[in-house]
Amino acid sequence: MSLAGQMALLFVGAALINNILLTRFIGLCPFFGVSSSMSTSIGMSLAVVFVMTLASGATWMAWKFLLAPLGVGEFLYIPAFILIIAALVQFVEMYLRKASPVLYRAMGIYLPLITTNCAVLATATESAKPGFFKMNIDLGASLGLGEALVYTLGVSIGFGFALLTFAALRERLEAAPVPDALKGSPIAFITAGLLSFAYVGLAGWFGL
Amino acid sequence: MDASMVLKAVLALASLGLVASGVLAVASKRFHVEVDPRVEQIASVLPGSNCGACGNPSCFVTAEGIASGSLPVTACVAGGQEVADAIAGLLGVDRCEVDTVVVVRACGGGIAAARAYDYHGVPSCAAAARLAGGPLVCQWGCFGFGDCVKACPFGALSLDERGLPVVDLARCTGCGACVQTCPRSSSGLLSLVPERAPVSVRCSAHSKPKERKAACSACCIACKKCERACPSDAIHVVEMLAVVDYEKCTGCNACVEACPQQCIDIYGRNVARTTGADGAGWRAVAAGSAVQEAEVAEA
Ligand code: SF4
Ligand code: SF4
Repeated sequence: MSLAGQMALLFVGAALINNILLTRFIGLCPFFGVSSSMSTSIGMSLAVVFVMTLASGATWMAWKFLLAPLGVGEFLYIPAFILIIAALVQFVEMYLRKASPVLYRAMGIYLPLITTNCAVLATATESAKPGFFKMNIDLGASLGLGEALVYTLGVSIGFGFALLTFAALRERLEAAPVPDALKGSPIAFITAGLLSFAYVGLAGWFGL
Repeated sequence: MDASMVLKAVLALASLGLVASGVLAVASKRFHVEVDPRVEQIASVLPGSNCGACGNPSCFVTAEGIASGSLPVTACVAGGQEVADAIAGLLGVDRCEVDTVVVVRACGGGIAAARAYDYHGVPSCAAAARLAGGPLVCQWGCFGFGDCVKACPFGALSLDERGLPVVDLARCTGCGACVQTCPRSSSGLLSLVPERAPVSVRCSAHSKPKERKAACSACCIACKKCERACPSDAIHVVEMLAVVDYEKCTGCNACVEACPQQCIDIYGRNVARTTGADGAGWRAVAAGSAVQEAEVAEA
């Protein structure tokens, strides 16, 4: 398969077929926490795409140039990656505040929230640490930097896509005649379950 | 695992930490944004939990709002009085009272109120209200079955021996669940008022004072004595019922003393006002108020 084809497959596989929220159920807290309105979901999605991609790049390099050569990655990767992600979020926050106050306001509280988001850690680990990447594409033992970035971009865009879909559904649910007993969280969980069915239905496409 | 492994691990984390802190230190200089120093100060006083109860996305945004004057110093709901005081101190403005809302009951009738018929149905105010408007002659009065007591999620209400709900101000959060439940709320039997407002008229009837008096001995008779007694122009008889203007009331007690019906009552966390201490006859228990005051202060 050509390189471009492989990348496209990697992207689609990460975004849709192995959607991090709806087929792998990682990072569900923001999925329920900020999905009650479209505008907050947009802020959160933007922030996730931004931070996740940067974080994967950074952890990939940390693994390659620091943890792997020293041979301490196996047991040190979680604290090391969390440290990197936290620092990165801080940095991005400072940078945005200076460079783009508008964007900074839009992302607001969601940026620091991402520091502790398991989806970011999961994706960073998968793209940096050999043996964690689980998709059915032959890319060798570990991902190259380019592949890691494409993969993360796919995951984060898939995250944003699922979050926005869900937010749109929930905004409509507000107006729907939901039985009293199901109002609020219960119907949100049911909706999320149905949405998840739809995504799980994609499993196996393109052999992924 | 040998010692060199430990050393390497320490080395790895330390170098990561060094690089990260170095980058952040440089960044905080390079990307430094001039902010109103008061914003930072205010932000440091706020709880910093970003709970969102005030309606702003983060404590920092609230701090900015307070500094720029678009939000009051009392904006932080979670912080309450303490935080408001601290911020007021920072900004050099007068101390501001946080407006906590609590519920009051505007009825003093209870078991003394006249009945039009004997009600033996389901012991629920809502059910009673459906049966020909309820058993009470006064169509504003409290039925006393305590639907509100059951509705309160905080256990702040209880029925006293006269069959009237009393509010435990230490528990009431002002959520309004009782107000929504009470079938008489539309005419103001239960309503939310700022806690700093210390008096309440224990009657909500609007019928002619004479008719009213025949139906219940504890009612307001629209004699206007309170109006004349009030030094702050805060209580007025409107449509034959005394109404307190909570903006002006200072809680001086003048109206309470003046009311011949004893249907005006003081309340507030620091005022003794528990069971039986309102409506006709609260003065009788005022003698024991020192004890109650101590209790209330502890709660
Ligand atoms: S205040 Fe209303 S709900 Fe409460 S006991 Fe009286 S009538 Fe019933
Ligand atoms: S229901 Fe809410 S407003 Fe009413 S007494 Fe209880 S806490 Fe206060």
